[in-house]
Amino acid sequence: MALLSVTDLTRNFGGLRAVSRFSFEVAPGEILGLIGPNGAGKTTVFNLITGFLPPSGGHITLEGRSVVGLRPHVVTRRGIARTFQVVKPFPKLSVRENVTLAAFSHEASRPRAESLAAQMLERVGLRDRLAVPAADLTLGEQKRLEIARALATRPRLLLLDEPMGGLNPREVDGACALVGQIRADGTTVILVEHVMKAIMRISDRVVVIHHGEKIADGAPGRVVQDPRVIAAYLGTPVA
Amino acid sequence: MNRTAAVLALLLLVLAPPLVASNQFLLHLGITVLLWTLLGAAWNMLGGFAGQVSFGHATFFGVGAYTTLILYLKAGLAPWYGMVLGGLAAVLVSLPIGLICFRLRGPYFSLSTLAVAEIVRLVALNWEALTNGPVGLLITTLPRVALSGRTINWESKLPFYYIIAVLALGAMLATYWLTRARLGAYLLAIREDEDAAESIGIATVRAKVLTLALSAFFAGLGGGFYGLYYRYVDPDAVFPIALSVEMVFIAVVGGLATVTGPVIGAIFLTSIGETFRERFLVGHLIFYGLFMMLVIRYLPEGIWGGARRAWAGRR
Repeated sequence: MALLSVTDLTRNFGGLRAVSRFSFEVAPGEILGLIGPNGAGKTTVFNLITGFLPPSGGHITLEGRSVVGLRPHVVTRRGIARTFQVVKPFPKLSVRENVTLAAFSHEASRPRAESLAAQMLERVGLRDRLAVPAADLTLGEQKRLEIARALATRPRLLLLDEPMGGLNPREVDGACALVGQIRADGTTVILVEHVMKAIMRISDRVVVIHHGEKIADGAPGRVVQDPRVIAAYLGTPVA
Repeated sequence: MNRTAAVLALLLLVLAPPLVASNQFLLHLGITVLLWTLLGAAWNMLGGFAGQVSFGHATFFGVGAYTTLILYLKAGLAPWYGMVLGGLAAVLVSLPIGLICFRLRGPYFSLSTLAVAEIVRLVALNWEALTNGPVGLLITTLPRVALSGRTINWESKLPFYYIIAVLALGAMLATYWLTRARLGAYLLAIREDEDAAESIGIATVRAKVLTLALSAFFAGLGGGFYGLYYRYVDPDAVFPIALSVEMVFIAVVGGLATVTGPVIGAIFLTSIGETFRERFLVGHLIFYGLFMMLVIRYLPEGIWGGARRAWAGRR
């Protein structure tokens, strides 16, 4: 059975249909790339799945149970964690505290939550930055901090919103390796990303969204050759 | 360092009153400082920790004051029980306010608290059957109480000093608890970024409503004490916007989200207010405003916050 199943998901903003009868599934253990041109509705889809926005229509189920209409913190406790396109660390709190707060979602004792946080930060390579305020990290470090924070909630499904945006090539390589490692540790991943090289390399499958509608769904190599995908990114040739 | 400060404050509370007991003015000043400490600490729980700036905390103060006096005048309930029930009444009032206003964020939340406070003030002004309207409520005598065989003299200010000292200390202990508890950590996360807090599983609305209730309880106790001490309340005395704003000032000047900050803020603002009121009958508030501006410009973390930073820097 699919881990996450999205059916006919629709969201209107006034007269604008940002997401339109959008359907897809994610299998357990998969890395799914969600791509599309700017303004295609990728982040809206994330906001709908995680409860930050209520859908205008459609169904979202995690392991067969609906998550529509739940507040974001309940969705997180059900097992879906996310990061944000524009990073949202707790800037004045220490790196360790940022992640400890997330570990509190399933670990009531502070010492244990803190040691869990340290483990997560080790995984993303921020072990030596524990006491630094999150505001003092570089953008790349803040993106990894957000991943550690999301992982500390023990998600079964992790939604990453442009984890590689604004990173230099070496950092992108590191991020790719990290996503692979997260999957290897048993967390399913949906990845919104503009860095195509990364998407092609680490996704098992790619879903393409354009004007809120799904226009392609398949293996990365096949999808990039799909005429509709090429048209969406580059426009149709003038005869 | 917080522990040292707490011990020092405790010693001061116990030792100071007998030394000045002969001077009723100084005792009154002490009572005023401690009442403002209580109110500043109450506001600080929500405003300092959770970053939810309320401009309507006079509501809870006023509800506490009216509850205490109404229960005494109409049901004959002794004001010390009434004071606690006043705090609980403020909690009850806070729940719908929280559930409505916390749907809004940032400045919109602040404006909605201002609006609610005005509504409550107008209700108190016009519901004459319960509140006596603009005339207000007056108690002439307080019931006789004997403590270990000695009758307490309510004409002296000393018993009031001890009562408000205990209440203010209670608010500081509650604040200290917040700095240690998971709820307090959640509030700091909410202050920093509410969306991110939700995204890691924090029930932000519940945390804010709980904190507002805690904050309202102490503000309500303060109102009850006010009713007991002045033996008179009317809507303009206990529901004015100025009162709400003063609570904000004390917490901000003292140092947000600290245990000791409200004491420092109350000491500074009360003494500056009194000093300039004595010297300049007209326009003393100008100096008050000037002092506020200097603190905000040069000590954005408040006096206590700035002092703590300087201390940490020297070591």
